Parts: sequence; structure tokens; C-alpha cells
Amino acid sequence: MTDNPNPLPSIIPEKDWKKIQRMLSKRSLWMIHFCTGCGAMEMPPTMTSRYDMERFGIIPMATPRQADLLLVTGYVAVKTLKRIVRVYEQMQDPKYVISFGSCPINGGLYWDSYNTIKRLDKYIPVDLYIAGCMPRPEAIMDAFLKLMKDIDEGRADGWLRYRKYYDKYRANQMRVFKRWDE
Amino acid sequence: MKAIEIFKELGIEYEEMKVKGNSTPRYRAKVEPDKLEEIIKKFKTQGFKHFVALSCVDWIKEGNMELIYHLFSYDTLEDVFLSIYLPRDEPKYKTLRHLFPQIETYEREVHEMFGVEFEGNDRLGEFILEDWNDMPPMRKDFDTVKYVKEKYESVPLVEGRGDKQ
Repeated sequence: MTDNPNPLPSIIPEKDWKKIQRMLSKRSLWMIHFCTGCGAMEMPPTMTSRYDMERFGIIPMATPRQADLLLVTGYVAVKTLKRIVRVYEQMQDPKYVISFGSCPINGGLYWDSYNTIKRLDKYIPVDLYIAGCMPRPEAIMDAFLKLMKDIDEGRADGWLRYRKYYDKYRANQMRVFKRWDE
Repeated sequence: MKAIEIFKELGIEYEEMKVKGNSTPRYRAKVEPDKLEEIIKKFKTQGFKHFVALSCVDWIKEGNMELIYHLFSYDTLEDVFLSIYLPRDEPKYKTLRHLFPQIETYEREVHEMFGVEFEGNDRLGEFILEDWNDMPPMRKDFDTVKYVKEKYESVPLVEGRGDKQ
């Protein structure tokens, strides 16, 4: 067996490769915004020329399969949650979730509603919460920068938690769904 | 044709409701459930061609369910509310979707939220609420806070937040 003329650069250890990977992936976030509730209203000014989030490298994407950042913009009804889980499971790893406004944190305005879930991270892992009703575009961009920092430092690990505790998340989801397949 | 004239022709007692900001009054009438179909037909031929909404009120103390059929005329710009009362423990009525097709959707909603049965409407299945397995939620004896505590607050948190990657 002859020697490989192009050996892998073994000078860089595995740990540092991951670091480089994270450094690069934080700069190419493709976002899909799941427009539930009123938070979607804050997205057009954030995306377009007034606040222009594209300068941070975040671009909206039309389909979940090519996106890696999921934005849940408002209250989540049980019916919506089923679709959110579907969208989330279609996305490829690594994937990140930002939940938006007070409603996915503790129910917000809908704290006693019979049909909205109160806390989103009981059902899917959430990397970052933005509080406020509604958060301003400045807060959204602040969250994006914070998420980039978290990705860089390896703290945005929701997708790993979803893999590891998949049974628990699925058990929680099935407590509010009667059946999964429609 | 004005709403008052139609009411007088049919011999129904009606009530005028003054609405702040509106110069024309709105008319409200309590009618018998058996006669409602004929009355709506009469109104429809006399210019009340717009069926605005069908809504339901749960009068728990009186033991009644009130169904309100809301009609509007573009000729005279008048609103008419026709209400019928059904017994609360077994609310049952016939469908009126052959008069206005949009009534079907309202009947589905009222059926889901209040549990009123509409005979002849074959689409009274699951509508807005998905995976619902309790009593209809808009009924007055439905305890929302208790339901929320039992269903959502008892869901445990998944641990592992802050684990090292």
C-alpha cells in the first residue's frame, strides 16, 4: 500500500476542526420564520432596508429543509405546535430555534387559554428566548448576535438535546396531541 | 322593504337597539325555532341578502342556549338579529345551510365550541380545535384555568439545558 499523497491535515486536531466549523456556520444562518401570532409583523422591517439583517448574514429561506434557524413568532396553539414540530424535524442538523415574544415563554396574554401551550421548550428545545410584547427589531438583531456568539462558543446545543432526549420530548408532545398522524 | 314593515307583516314583536355612533337602529326579535326558517326566507326575498353571522350565547342561569342569526340589507342598510332559544342540556336544531351556504361553517363552529347539534349538516366534525377531548370549551361551565393547569402546566420540563457539547 502506497502512501497517500494528500494526507488529511492531521496538524489540526478534531476539537479545533469543530471550532472552525462553528465559526463558519454562525456566519451562514438561513432562517425560516414560522409566522404564528403577531410577532411576524416585526419581521418585514427587520429583513428589509430599514434594519437590514442581511448584513449579519441572516437571510430568510422559504423551505425548512434548507434552513437552519427556526423562528417561532408568537403564541403557539396546539394545532400550530403539531406543524412546528413537523417543520422542526424536517430541518437538517445543526438547527437552532429562537422563540419570540412573551407568549412562548409562559403563555403571555394567553395564560388561561384552553388551546395554547404555555411554554415552548417543553415540546421542542429552544436556544434563545426574546422577551417582550412585541420585541422591537433591535431586540431581534440583538438576539441574532447573541445566538451567533452562542453557536461560536458551542452553547447553542438544542439540536443535540433533541436527539438525546427525543423520547422525552415526544412524550411531552403526545400529552397534548391526541394522535400524531392526520 | 324596511325591517319594521316586514316585522309588522309577519306579526313578530321586535325591539329597537340604539347603537352609539349609528344613526339607524338595529332590530332584535325573539322568534319560535319552528318558524325561523320561514322568517329568514321572507327577509331574504325582501332585500336582506347578506347573512352576517351566526353566534351563540350560553345562558347558564336560565338553562338556555341562544342562537342569533344576523342579517343585513344593502338596500335599507339595516341590521336584524333573529334569536331562538334552545334547551341547554340538549341543544338541537336543524341546519339552515340551504338558505345561505356560509351558515354551514358557522354551524360547524357553534357545534365545536358550544356542542349544539344541527340536524342535516353532515360536516359537523373536527373543525378548529384539533385533538380536543373535553367538553365544548365556550360553555359557561367549562373551567378554563383548571383545564390549563391539568393539561399544560403538568407537562414536565426536559432536563439537559446547559449540557456541554
